[in-house]
Amino acid sequence: MKRLAEILMYTVFAVVVGALSVWPSYELVDGDHAIVSLVFSHAGERIGECRKFSQEELNELPPNMRKPADCPRERHPVRVELRSGDQVLYEETLSPSGIWADGKASIYQRMMVSSGTHALFVGMNDSGEQSGFDYERSVTLDLTPGRNLVIRFDTQTQQFLIR
Amino acid sequence: MIERLHRMGRALFGIVRRPMARAFDGAENPLNYLGALTIFFLWIVLISGIWLLVFFRTSVSGAFESVEYLTREQWYLGGIMRSLHRYASDAAIITILLHIVKEFVFNRYRSNRWFTWVTGVPLVWMIFILGITGYWLVWDELAQYVAITSAELMDSIPIFTESMAGNFLSDDLLSNRFFTLMAFLHLIGLPIFLVFGIWLHVFRLNGPRINPARRMMAASLIAMLVLSALYPAVSHDQAELAMTPQSLRLDWFYLHVYPLVQIWSPGWVWVFLVGISTVIVVAPWAPPQKKEQPALVTLDFCNGCERCVDDCPFGAVEMVPRTDETNYTHQASVDPGLCISCGICVGACPTATPFRSRGELLPGIDLPDRTASALREDIVAAGKQGDTPHVIVFSCRGDPQLPEVEKAGLSVVKVNCMGQLPPSYVDFTLSRGHADGVLLLGCQDGNCSYRYGAAWTEQRLARQRDPMIRSRVDMSRVAIGWQAPWSKNAGAIQKYEALLQSLEQ
Repeated sequence: MKRLAEILMYTVFAVVVGALSVWPSYELVDGDHAIVSLVFSHAGERIGECRKFSQEELNELPPNMRKPADCPRERHPVRVELRSGDQVLYEETLSPSGIWADGKASIYQRMMVSSGTHALFVGMNDSGEQSGFDYERSVTLDLTPGRNLVIRFDTQTQQFLIR
Repeated sequence: MIERLHRMGRALFGIVRRPMARAFDGAENPLNYLGALTIFFLWIVLISGIWLLVFFRTSVSGAFESVEYLTREQWYLGGIMRSLHRYASDAAIITILLHIVKEFVFNRYRSNRWFTWVTGVPLVWMIFILGITGYWLVWDELAQYVAITSAELMDSIPIFTESMAGNFLSDDLLSNRFFTLMAFLHLIGLPIFLVFGIWLHVFRLNGPRINPARRMMAASLIAMLVLSALYPAVSHDQAELAMTPQSLRLDWFYLHVYPLVQIWSPGWVWVFLVGISTVIVVAPWAPPQKKEQPALVTLDFCNGCERCVDDCPFGAVEMVPRTDETNYTHQASVDPGLCISCGICVGACPTATPFRSRGELLPGIDLPDRTASALREDIVAAGKQGDTPHVIVFSCRGDPQLPEVEKAGLSVVKVNCMGQLPPSYVDFTLSRGHADGVLLLGCQDGNCSYRYGAAWTEQRLARQRDPMIRSRVDMSRVAIGWQAPWSKNAGAIQKYEALLQSLEQ
């Protein structure tokens, strides 16, 4: 009897291990939805123009501190907007990174949208202007259920990539 | 407050232990060897992992294909190994969880035990990270989810400027080198730290139990093998970063936190995890346990025999060069930072003999709060009054049977741990006529609050360990009743009556 109970205990243990290693299943995305991911890092423009040092100013500087121009380190925040038709999916002004606010602004956003046709617009402003966008792209896409659409900004070509 | 938590925990723990106690004898009960059982499961994980490593390819496409090959084509060995690898990892989480709960509810984490408790916390983190990186390596849809969610968690730590999670959103950004890195972490880096962590975890213990009983190991391995054969672990579909998997069969043992990343946010999940870890780390001091005085060495009676060093379960006694004028080369020295005042060293000391007639009864090592002298006085006080058979019950403080025998009004002499009782005290009790029988009640092996109290006592009474009981003692007049500390109906009275009946005959 004791042996049977022992076997039963090990069986229960194995069943618990086997069950909880796969069950219950986890629903990640609703059946008729897709994901739009907006992900990139981009440095805004510097907040001011570089100013060339005059010869007198350079002479006053210690030799190891002399440089041709004085450039402000800080960069403008990056304003990003993503719309599907008239619906705003994402709108945010991203601060530059770094304690001197001179680094890149980064974004990583995953948004669940209903599957189907979407007229997407993505715009970015990195020059500190309050309105309008320095870079923008519009595209109409058919998003199948479960699709993961990724929107990036290519810093080399200076344009949005939508895949 | 903390005592109430312990009581509630003991009640909850009782739900698990009651059917277990019916099914297993003490030495075979997995609940008594949870730490050792965890290490055994990790051995299974290691050995099965080595087999998987032989066939594993560290590339984006190779990873999934090699695991599929093991699972489908080499199902008879590779598939079994893969399943064993997973299920033993999962089983280890159960034993770890029960191990933590048990040590907590039975108050075995405070005072000088804090080191073992605290060093267990990074071990748990390491085991979880090992499990998570393991799922990553399969590179199926579950791995995709684990990779993205793990990267989101990492991104929420404000030290990275570039998003790590962005690398897992399209196939063209994923490189083979990433799999090499993950394989290094999972196969070499973390296991090395884990071995070091386990060593550190048991560092302060004298004679840590690394291996459970062979029967328990065999039964656990068979259970995992049968599970692997009947319900083999399989992958999801291959990861496709352009798509998001809709439904996943999560391994809830390792990935239970991941859905919270979506429900809360990565930042709050960190707060949750770090918060729990912090609470566990500070638990030994919240509130600190009142410390009893550590064992005290009296050099006049210490002959440097080393038995206290051998028997101390916490390595609190060591031999150091002699500091007095005697001819002995060494003397015992107690580290107050390690001593938890169990008294097992007193039980091991050959000079702790109640037969001493001249001078004060002062052994080479003694507990100031429960001296060998006071113990002898208690025996005399509890001694025989009339002609009827009389039994003195020795009970350790943590023994669940103690309330039962006290309520029944039996003659009880209490010790901190049964290992504190030198065998000569049993001899003294019987040969000096203080009692006709002796009943020793304590916590069973594997559940002893001080680890080796029951084991050493049994070996001393069986004349297998020094100090041995004298051969003149009639062992039919000595009965032992070990019990798990959670036992409700401990049955001490029945044991008492049975001994009394045998004495009358």
